[in-house]
Amino acid sequence: MEYLLSILVLCSLYVMLSSSFNLIIGYGGLVSVAHPIFFAIGAYVAALSAIHFGLPAVPAVLLGGAVAIVASAAISLPSLRVSGDYLLITSIGFQLGLLQIIKNLEITGGPGGLSNVPGTITGALRSPAFAAISVLLAAATVLLIRWLMRGPYGRAITAMRDDELAFTALGRNATHIKIVIFALGSGMAGIAGGIYAFFYQYISPEQFEILQSALILTMVVVGGISTTWGPVVGAVLLLALPQAITFIHMPPNVAGGLQGVLYTLLVLIFMFARPQGIVSAPRTQL
Amino acid sequence: MLDPIILLQIAWTGIAISSYYVLFTIAFSLALKVMQLWNFAQAGLMALAFYAMFFALNRLALPLPLGIAFGVAVTVIAAVALEVFGLRTLRARRSGNLTFFIFTLIVAEFVAYLLMMIFGTEPQTLFPSILSQVHIVMNIAVSNWDLIAVGTTLACVTALWAFLRFHQDGQFMLAVAENASLAELYGISAKRAYLVTMTIVAIISCAGMYLFGSRSGVFPTTPLELLLVAVIATLLGGMGRVFAAGVAAVALGLIQSFSVLFISSQWQTLVLYAFLFVTIIFFPLGFRLPLWLRKAFKPAA
Repeated sequence: MEYLLSILVLCSLYVMLSSSFNLIIGYGGLVSVAHPIFFAIGAYVAALSAIHFGLPAVPAVLLGGAVAIVASAAISLPSLRVSGDYLLITSIGFQLGLLQIIKNLEITGGPGGLSNVPGTITGALRSPAFAAISVLLAAATVLLIRWLMRGPYGRAITAMRDDELAFTALGRNATHIKIVIFALGSGMAGIAGGIYAFFYQYISPEQFEILQSALILTMVVVGGISTTWGPVVGAVLLLALPQAITFIHMPPNVAGGLQGVLYTLLVLIFMFARPQGIVSAPRTQL
Repeated sequence: MLDPIILLQIAWTGIAISSYYVLFTIAFSLALKVMQLWNFAQAGLMALAFYAMFFALNRLALPLPLGIAFGVAVTVIAAVALEVFGLRTLRARRSGNLTFFIFTLIVAEFVAYLLMMIFGTEPQTLFPSILSQVHIVMNIAVSNWDLIAVGTTLACVTALWAFLRFHQDGQFMLAVAENASLAELYGISAKRAYLVTMTIVAIISCAGMYLFGSRSGVFPTTPLELLLVAVIATLLGGMGRVFAAGVAAVALGLIQSFSVLFISSQWQTLVLYAFLFVTIIFFPLGFRLPLWLRKAFKPAA
């Protein structure tokens, strides 16, 4: 039961991550892959504020989200100057650079990470409580994005993505939209990071590496980019399927590799057999 | 005041270390020039090259030339398969840049995970010992590895330059790089140019991984980290300027080496990422000398 609840928490957090990433890359068309770094910022800020300042969990998680929003400027501001491939490479540089800083600072625990994050909720209800909070937040994230994209602001986002030149020629402010999309998406990732830190009570830089970027990107692509439910399906599928491997008794290094092989293979199969993803958007063409 | 010998030693070590950076960079930059592709799958080819050579030399106990030939053969086959079954299909579908990016990155990861399963996560080197005989030349320590690295790199760069300049396939690759549709109108096969490009990328990647793997331990994920230096150098050199990117790779190697004088070694990698960030924001078309300086150095007609 404990194991299943732990998977439920993880799935919910990844639903938050993939949905918020879909807002940036799918709906906004802003090609950045640095999403895990905002997850990391949320996790580290929440954990450090709880460890060093004794901040309770809720304000600590909110602070993590707020810092992630502020940090999103590091990607949203370059996105005003460069786009496409250049923005993508910038985001990789930002992510790896910040991870390098985290790895080398004493306060963040260096490469070993932080293992003394306070438990917050204790006892038998710990996992069910975290599962409930995570599921609620994941649902709120998905519904918030759905509501946003169905409204006038969502139509403006789509218009900007489809033709930025025409959009600005009509007097609309693309700069504002880009900053808002990055801030919203990163803030959600930051909050997910905070909950992750308090639930697992251990965070390390390697949990937020470039492979995480690929995992979240994969969830969005396999599920269906620019759709509300696609990232949800992608996150659940890509987290649940490899868990089956854990029931087969294998050496850890083989099991880890096999999980990776499974999910990358799944992506490759989807890219060629069903490029629009499991849930396809009306006009998606990959 | 710093001792000039120390400075020269750092400069030489920087040049020697930059040799494999140069190889990875020119391979990456060539694919970007000819195929307009940010080929992150090159990391997968690099990993495959290393582990194929490692397998041939350590498990099959083949002699060195055969081991290298085995590595080259495996990498070239993988590169051709990648082009024929993957990239060609995506091109035919007119897929967007994001799809190509995801595809190449996922291929690199797939290879890394596969190798992790087969060879484990412990670092491996091509030879049991990575120590190399050292000679003292004008008070500077020069190892055999340094000489092999610099020599191999110079040979590869010269061969690539000669191939692009004098061989028909090389000239066709440049024509396709300029305008693939127009080149095809003139009877040049873009498909063949892409295949040749991928073959060259595979061979150069193999040479680079031989140098790296004979000096440092390699994990299945190491090539992805190495490739980022190639990305930075490609951006610094300017897209489409293969040999300028190679020079930028040497500059990065030197900057990384000289940075030990000012910052501790643990922060050296951060210097590279800072360069990447600044380059893209301020020099998205690559770093060029100011016009007046270029004119000053331009030979009289």
